[in-house]
Amino acid sequence: MVALSLVAAGSCADPVLTLSCNNACLALSVSVSGKTLPALRSPVRRRPAAGPPATAGPPEFLAAGQAFTRRVKAGRSGFRKINAASWGGGCRSPTGCRNNDVVATASVTEAGPRTPANRPNLVSVGTIIWLSSELMFFAALFAMYFTVRSVEKGEGLPWPGAHLDVALGSVNTTVLLLSSVTCQMGVFAVERGQVGRVGSLFNVSKWGLREWYVLTFLMGLYFDCGQAYEYHDLVTKQHLTLSSSAYGSVFYIPTGFHGLHVAGGLVAFLFLLGRTYAAKRFTREQQISAIVVSYYWHFVDVVWIGLFTTIYLIH
Amino acid sequence: MKVEGWLFLGCATFFGGLDVIYWYYSKDPTGTAALAFAVCLAILIGFYVLFTGRRLPERPEDNPQGEIAEGSGEIGFFSPHSWWPLFVGFSCATAAAGFAMGWWLFLIGALMVMVSMIGFVFEYYRGRYAH
Repeated sequence: MVALSLVAAGSCADPVLTLSCNNACLALSVSVSGKTLPALRSPVRRRPAAGPPATAGPPEFLAAGQAFTRRVKAGRSGFRKINAASWGGGCRSPTGCRNNDVVATASVTEAGPRTPANRPNLVSVGTIIWLSSELMFFAALFAMYFTVRSVEKGEGLPWPGAHLDVALGSVNTTVLLLSSVTCQMGVFAVERGQVGRVGSLFNVSKWGLREWYVLTFLMGLYFDCGQAYEYHDLVTKQHLTLSSSAYGSVFYIPTGFHGLHVAGGLVAFLFLLGRTYAAKRFTREQQISAIVVSYYWHFVDVVWIGLFTTIYLIH
Repeated sequence: MKVEGWLFLGCATFFGGLDVIYWYYSKDPTGTAALAFAVCLAILIGFYVLFTGRRLPERPEDNPQGEIAEGSGEIGFFSPHSWWPLFVGFSCATAAAGFAMGWWLFLIGALMVMVSMIGFVFEYYRGRYAH
């Protein structure tokens, strides 16, 4: 008994669609010889008349959802009340049943759309799949590094082809690692549903998503500035550029792409913070966005650990 | 979600074993590194699926007695139509063409990317959709 209903808001000209299966859940109970058997195992939760959960649900759409609910209640929704006759309660099959005392009654109760809490969020799943493909992008860069390294070493050329500032790189790496921690503190705030701080700015325990993510943003910015400073030193003092040598290429391309990823994460933080200020409420969509940005940030952090170990420590 | 999770972790085990054998016979750092990342890919997805599955109640898909109707509920938010992805794509193309044609075009393209990205991200946060 699946009702796949596309809740198109008929009342607004520019509808925002929410795909929802079985919006009007049918709770059937078939009573056989006086006993009531649950025909559907589905846990139909009766909820007060409301539109879909406010995942970025615009007012028009909520209104349309409520109108739909009212239509269901008034019996004008296209979902007819199912009674014994139309459901085939009197057994039509010539062979299936022989006794006529089976009386099936079914009643339709209406319930709002269920919250999607019983399945992983599609945005998170998509982000993880995308990050796994990003991982393979960095796999190619690592493969490139190791290829050039083995060729150069095989020819007896000096490796690494420049003197890297490990101290500066270590400080940078530490800051990036700690920014992952602060990012996760922001996620914990999201899970509490706390978008802003509830105490003083200096009371870290009362911080919300915004404060933690602003701090993470600043730390990420520090990392990228540190990288730029190191590039500047390498170019001006050691004359190592992208095209100066093979080592220049395999140094700048992976670290540069990683720096671009950090910059992309910084932009994502800004957009996320902007969204929390642009909306009146802290919606579930914003929560999910914050969580997937944290996934991305952790990913960038882990990739940097690999890059730092390979390029700075192992050479 | 255990089946999906262990499926990916099984892939990780396979790639891992293959990686060791490959390194033993070829001593090729390139392929070994790539295979190691394939292990990470499978672990990432497998870990995510298992970890998320532990925090969620059993899905109807996990229940042999499950009914299709139990998978009901909201799936997500989908924009009915939007011009912004077109603008974002056009802006990115302009910025990329700047690499070949000149930095002036890249700067123009970068500016366009910024404007179109803001429009794209905040499309359902302003005007009649503001919430």
